[in-house]
Amino acid sequence: MQIIKHSNIYFAVSGLLVGASALAVAVFGLALGIDFTGGSLLEITVDERIQADIASIQGILTRADEQGAKLLDSVQAQKTGEAGFLLRFRNVSEEDHQAIIGRLNTEFASQLPENERSKEAGSEGAPAGVSGIQATDFEGNPINIEVGTADGGVIESPVITIGGESLVVEDRFESIGPTIGNELKQKSIYAMIAVIVSIILYIAWAFRKVSDPVSSWKYGITAIFALVHDVAIPVGVFAVLGAVAGVEVDILFVTALLTILGYSVNDTIVVFDRTRENLSRDHWKHEFEWIVNKSVNETIRRSVYTALTTFVVLLAVYLFGGESIKHFVLALMIGVVAGTYSSIFLASPLLVAWEKRGRR
Amino acid sequence: MVGTRQQVWILFALIMVLGFISGSIFVDHLPGTWPAKYWFERFRTHLGLDLQGGSHLVYEADTSEVSFEDAEIAISGVRDVIEARVNALGVSEPVVQTAKVGERLRIIVELAGVFDVNDAIAQIGATPLLEFKTEAAAPEPVPVSAEERAKREQSNASQFKKAQDSIQKIIGAEGQNFAELATELSEDPGSAQAGGDLGFMRRELLVKEFGDVLYGELAGEGETTLEPIETEFGYHIIQRLESRTVTDDTGFEVEEVRARHILFRTQSLEGDVPDYQPWVQTELGGKQLNRSEVQFDSYSGAAQIGLQFDDEGARLFEELTDANVGKRIGIFLDNNLISAPVVQNRIPGGEAVITGNFTIPEARELVERLNAGALPVPINLVSQQTVGPTLGTASVAKSMAAGLVGFALVALLMLGIYRVAGLVAVVALVWYAAIVFSFFKLIPVTLTLAGIAGFLLSIGMAVDANVLIFERLREELRLGNAFGHAVVVAFDRAWNSIRDSNMSTLITCLILAWFGSSVVKGFAITLGIGVLVSMFSAIIITRVFIEFAGRSRWLSKQKWLWGA
Repeated sequence: MQIIKHSNIYFAVSGLLVGASALAVAVFGLALGIDFTGGSLLEITVDERIQADIASIQGILTRADEQGAKLLDSVQAQKTGEAGFLLRFRNVSEEDHQAIIGRLNTEFASQLPENERSKEAGSEGAPAGVSGIQATDFEGNPINIEVGTADGGVIESPVITIGGESLVVEDRFESIGPTIGNELKQKSIYAMIAVIVSIILYIAWAFRKVSDPVSSWKYGITAIFALVHDVAIPVGVFAVLGAVAGVEVDILFVTALLTILGYSVNDTIVVFDRTRENLSRDHWKHEFEWIVNKSVNETIRRSVYTALTTFVVLLAVYLFGGESIKHFVLALMIGVVAGTYSSIFLASPLLVAWEKRGRR
Repeated sequence: MVGTRQQVWILFALIMVLGFISGSIFVDHLPGTWPAKYWFERFRTHLGLDLQGGSHLVYEADTSEVSFEDAEIAISGVRDVIEARVNALGVSEPVVQTAKVGERLRIIVELAGVFDVNDAIAQIGATPLLEFKTEAAAPEPVPVSAEERAKREQSNASQFKKAQDSIQKIIGAEGQNFAELATELSEDPGSAQAGGDLGFMRRELLVKEFGDVLYGELAGEGETTLEPIETEFGYHIIQRLESRTVTDDTGFEVEEVRARHILFRTQSLEGDVPDYQPWVQTELGGKQLNRSEVQFDSYSGAAQIGLQFDDEGARLFEELTDANVGKRIGIFLDNNLISAPVVQNRIPGGEAVITGNFTIPEARELVERLNAGALPVPINLVSQQTVGPTLGTASVAKSMAAGLVGFALVALLMLGIYRVAGLVAVVALVWYAAIVFSFFKLIPVTLTLAGIAGFLLSIGMAVDANVLIFERLREELRLGNAFGHAVVVAFDRAWNSIRDSNMSTLITCLILAWFGSSVVKGFAITLGIGVLVSMFSAIIITRVFIEFAGRSRWLSKQKWLWGA
C-alpha cells in the first residue's frame, strides 16, 4: 500500500478537520461545565404519575414569589430517560438546594387528585392556613417542610410524599463553588502542560539513538504534531456538541484529552519504532521514504486491530455504562479514531515530507 | 528467558498458582471447602461514592476573624469535632480530612452509603459548642424495701445459676461455642452481637474484679473462668483470647488483653441512685474563651494548657472556681467531655492553666479542641457532590454489563483475527482481569465509574501488547521460520514497542494521579495498574501458554491457526 505517496491527500484531510475544529472552537467556544465555572447540577427522577416537562420545571423554579424574589434566575434542563431530568443552575447554598427540591415536590403534589396525596399528612389534621405544617413520613416521623406561597394564600396540602415516597427523587446533586472551579481549571492547565512536556521529553529520549537521516528531535516534533491533531478533533467535536446539544466540558473531558495524548503517542511510537528498526537494517539499501512506507505497512494491521479492540470496549461502556461517563467515553472514542488515523496517515508522511525538505 | 522444557513447566506452575490466588481474591464468595476461604474473602471491593451512593462535601474555613496560624490550629479541632459528629451518624468508614490549598483551609468530608444527607450537612456545618460545666452532687441512693430486696436476691441467684449452667455448657462435654452462647445469652448489649468480644483492653480501664481475673488466673489463650465472676454489673463468664504489648502515649509498654465475656446482670441490693445529670450547665462557654495554647511549666517543663478568657469570661470563671474548689470542672465540646480538671483554688484574672500528665501531642489535641470551640472559624460548604443510592446501584449494574460486553467483544475480535493465538490471548486476559482486580482489592483502590472506565480501557490496551506480539509472530511464520524460532523472535522484537508505547500512557497516568481531583485519580490509578499488569500478562502469561501450545507438533505446523 502506497501511503506516503498520497501524503498530500491525508495532509489535506487532517488540515481540514483540524481547521474545522479550530473554527468550531472560535465560533462556539467550549461550554465549560460546573467543574470549572462553579454551579449546580441536579439529577432527578419524577414520579410517573406527574406530568413534568422541561418547561414546567423551569417555570416552577424561576417563578418569583410575592416579594419578587426568585429562587433561581435561570435553569437549564435536559431530559434523561423516561422520567429523569438533569438541571443546571448557579451554585446554591444548602438551604436553597432544599428549597428547590421542596418546591418541586409541593408543586407536583398539587397536580395530583386530593385522595392520592399523602394520607399521613391528612391525618395530622393540620388546620388550613397554619404555616409550617408538619407532614410525616411513612414511619410517622415528622418531615420539615417550609412552604412559602406565591400569593400569601393558604396552601391546602403541603405534601411532598405519596405513601412515604417522594414525588421527586434526587439521584445526584453537585454544587461547586467558584473558587473550587477556578482551582480545577488551573490544575487542568498545569496537568496538560506537564503531560505534553513529559511526552516530548520521553520521545526525545526514546529516539535519542536515531540520527540518520532524520534527527531524533524531529520524530518528537512530528509526534507532537500528530498529538495536537488528535486532541484538536475531539475538542472541535465537543465545541459543536456544546453549541448543538448543550454538552458541557468537565474535568473528565480534560482527563479524556490527556488519556488521548498518551494513547496517540503510544500509537505513533510503535510506527516510529518499526521505522527505527528497519532503518538500522536497510538504510544503505533504500530511501528513507521507502523504509517509512514499509514500516507503516508493517504496523498498519496492529494499529487498526488495537484501535478496534480499544474502540469496542469503549463502545460497550458508551452503550451500557453509566450516564455520567458517557461524554467522557465519547471523547475517548473520538480520540482513539483520530489517534489511529494520525499515526498511520499523518505522523509518518510528515516525517518523510520533512526529510525531503531537508534534502532540497 | 523461557528456554528449556523444565523452565516452561515451572513458569506454567507459577502462573497457575498466581491464577488461583488472584482468582480467589477476585471472587467475593468462595465455596465452603475452598482452601483459606476466609483469608481470601477478607479482601473487599471498595466502591466509590458514585457507585454506592454518598456525599462528598468540601467545607472552607472563614479565616477572616482570626490570624491564619490560629485558624490552622482551630481547623484541626473542628476536624475532630466533625469526625465525632459523623461517627455518630453511623456512616461506615467516613473520611474527614483537612486540606490546605494556598491560603485556604478546607475540610473534606466523604460519607458513603444511605443516610440523610441534609441532616448530615446541617450537623457538620454547626459551629462546635464549647461549654464549661460544674459537678453536680450525687443524690442519695433510695433504699429498697425488704420485699423488693428479697425479690432481687432471688433474681440475682437465678442469674448466678444461669451463669453456672452456661459455664458447664462451655467446658462440659457439649463444648458449646463461647461466641454463639454470648450472642444468645449475654446481657451486655455492647458486646453480645460480637460474640461477647470486648477487643483489646488495658487493665486500668476494667472493673477491679474483672481485671484481677483476666490478668490473674486466666493465663493461657482460650481459657475460661470456671466460676461466675461477680462485679457491680453482674455475673461474668470471661474467656481470655490473646494479648499484646503496646507502647502507650508516654512511651511505657503496657499489656493489652483481648477477651470475651457473657454477662448476666444483677440488681443492686443497696438501693438505687436515681438518675441525675452529673454536670450542671454554667454560663461560661466558648464565646468567653479567647484562646487556648500549649504552655510549659517553667520549673518541671511539663506540658500544660493555658486558657485566656475575655472580661466576662474572667468574671464567670472566677465565680466558678471560687464555688468549686476541690471539685472538677467539666469542659464539654459538642456535649462530649474533653477534659475535667480539678479546681485547686479560686482563679481571678481570666488566665488559667490545666495541668496534668499531658504528653505534648495530648496537650496539643486538647488545645485544638478548645480552640475549635473558642475561635470564630466558621466553615462554609463550598462544594457538594451527592449521589443517591439508586443511581449508585444502577451504575454498578451498568458498569458490569459494559465490562462483560466489552470483554466479550474483545474476545470475539481476538479469536476471529488470531484464532489459537487469540484464544491464548483471551485466556491471558482472564488472568489479567483477575490479577488487576486482586490489586484493586489488596491496595485497596476505591472504584469509581471513571475508575471502571479506566480498567475497561486498559483491557483494550492490554490486548495491544498481544496484538504487537501476534503480528510479529505472524510475520515470522510467513517468512517460513519454524514455530519455536518465530515465537522467540516475535517476543524479543515486540518487547521494545510494548515498553515504549506503554511508557507514554504510564507517564500520563502518573500526572493525572498527581493532578488530584478524586474522580480523575481513580481513573488514572486503575488505568495505570491495568497497563502495568498488561505488560506482565502479555510477556509472561501469553508466552508460556503459547510455548505450551507450540509443544503440540500438529498445532505448531498449522500456521493459519496462528493468524498467518
